[in-house]
Amino acid sequence: MDPTILEVNDLKKTYPNGLDAVKGVSFSVHAGEVFGILGPNGAGKTTTMEMIEGLRSISSGTVILDGIDTAKNPHRVKQRIGIQLQSSDFFKNLKLTELLEMFADLYGATIDPLALLTDVGLQDKASFLVKNLSGGQKQRFSIATTLVNKPIMVFLDEPTTGLDPQARRNLWELIAQIKKRGTTVIITTHYMEEAQYLCDRVAIMDDGRIVALDTPQQLIAQLLDRGFIPHTEVPPATLEDVFIDLTGKTLRD
Amino acid sequence: MTEVKQTFISFLALTKASAKMYYRNKGAIVFSLLIPIGLLSIFGFLSRGSIASIKIGLTNYSEQAAAVKFVDALKDIHAFKVSELTEAAASAKLAKDEIDLQVVVPKSFGTFKDGKISSSEVQTRYNSGKPQNGQIANLAVVQIVSKMDRALTHSPAVLKVSSEGVSTNNLTYFDFILPGILSMTIMQLGIFGVAFSFVAMKSNGALRRIQATPVHPIYFLLAQAVVRLAVTLMVAAILVGFGTYFFNFHMIGSYFEFGLICLLGIFTFLGIGFTIAGWARDETQVAPVANLIQLPLLMLSGVFFPRDGFPLWLKSVTDYSPLTYLSHGLRSIANEGSGFSELPTDVIGLSLWMIAIYFLAAKVFKWE
Repeated sequence: MDPTILEVNDLKKTYPNGLDAVKGVSFSVHAGEVFGILGPNGAGKTTTMEMIEGLRSISSGTVILDGIDTAKNPHRVKQRIGIQLQSSDFFKNLKLTELLEMFADLYGATIDPLALLTDVGLQDKASFLVKNLSGGQKQRFSIATTLVNKPIMVFLDEPTTGLDPQARRNLWELIAQIKKRGTTVIITTHYMEEAQYLCDRVAIMDDGRIVALDTPQQLIAQLLDRGFIPHTEVPPATLEDVFIDLTGKTLRD
Repeated sequence: MTEVKQTFISFLALTKASAKMYYRNKGAIVFSLLIPIGLLSIFGFLSRGSIASIKIGLTNYSEQAAAVKFVDALKDIHAFKVSELTEAAASAKLAKDEIDLQVVVPKSFGTFKDGKISSSEVQTRYNSGKPQNGQIANLAVVQIVSKMDRALTHSPAVLKVSSEGVSTNNLTYFDFILPGILSMTIMQLGIFGVAFSFVAMKSNGALRRIQATPVHPIYFLLAQAVVRLAVTLMVAAILVGFGTYFFNFHMIGSYFEFGLICLLGIFTFLGIGFTIAGWARDETQVAPVANLIQLPLLMLSGVFFPRDGFPLWLKSVTDYSPLTYLSHGLRSIANEGSGFSELPTDVIGLSLWMIAIYFLAAKVFKWE
């Protein structure tokens, strides 16, 4: 098994208003895997991610990323990771290349903006302003901005929310490519089929705690072992398969 | 050392990006120039019009040389705008308050009878409800007529008045208003310009995205401030240039010191803008607070009219407004040629405001 790249130990977050958003979360992530954090809204996914990223203060517990304690050295941790936030609709009046170069400068990195845009399939939009991109293009561009510093680990917070099925599947391809290059990925999502397709292991969170953590296959096997019988017969194809079959896989943006 | 260098590179990148974002926001640029330029033009034209503001409606029935001489003498007076009208038309205009004085020269004016000049009467009418301009014009008419009368009757003038128009600094209302409008513009670009756009960056996640990099967001804030500072200085230069070129704005003091006071004002009002943006959660909180600060300052700081008419207590309170310091400082330099050292109150006052506001900003600023 690959070495551990991230070690989260009994992580807790209490907000000033008394809300316990995260109530003791522990897990570790292996280098090169895609790790999913699943859970309903308000389960504490984003808060957990932000504490790991050094974007939010930690109430108690430890996060060790690539051997560095996030709480003590958020600056060095940020240097090594790429963070995609939920909202990607900002810096509207900049061209894609300009924004990539700006982000590269913030890390002291040198990049080939066009190569990076080619990686995310936006080479034709190089001189577009961010505001003129479609929803799916914005998300892909947003992921490109997280790659400028050649991070060892990329955090994606609900990257496919609000996208049409074509754009979503296109983004899955992109995430699979990032993984193929050896970059570790942590992703939060609401979509179970997405987690099943992308993630090597998933942690399911509810009410600030992890209620299950394993590979998707194991979690399904465990459920069936507990005697679970699906309510309806699962059809061999889904409505989304029909939709993709009829409208094609080509991107519409 | 390398860390300092990296910080500098980051700051430069953020400044470049901020400048491009500002430059591409054409609407904001046009508006930040259009309003002060429009105001300057209005006041410029008003101030120019006041030079020839006494209007006279003249009806001349006489064809004699003396009558022509009289009309010419009247037209020669710079402050009068003389239009020749029929008597009925002039009466109508006087009734509508479109002219200040009606003058009727009778047919007998300057005629001779038996080798002697016949006596005749020039008739004048003015609006008794609004007599100022009419009476002044009337006096001039009386003076011209009596002078001609003396010349014709060869009676020597015993009493004389010698007058002379002394050119002071040739100050017009426009010279008074330009520093005021400039102060207003500096305040608006500082408070409204910064507060709205910066709080938008807070609520749409742009600031958060910067926080996700190794760079502290304070550098993003500084980059934004540098761009605003440059833009506001440019706008100030454009306004002064515009006023000088089109409306003959007089700068008696030094442009350099004028610029320094502008700079002090820009720092202070940018600080107020960032304080509001740092305190507010989103745009809806910005508008009422920004207005609450801006409107009273605008009304009470002597931007458009002198504060001399205020009751004493109000004058004493508004003495301490940052906009009073700014507009008074700029006005003293431009209109009176004061130097920096002669304006300790304005310079110290503005500086104290500036220090206080950055203390407050540091206290109330929230990054999210």
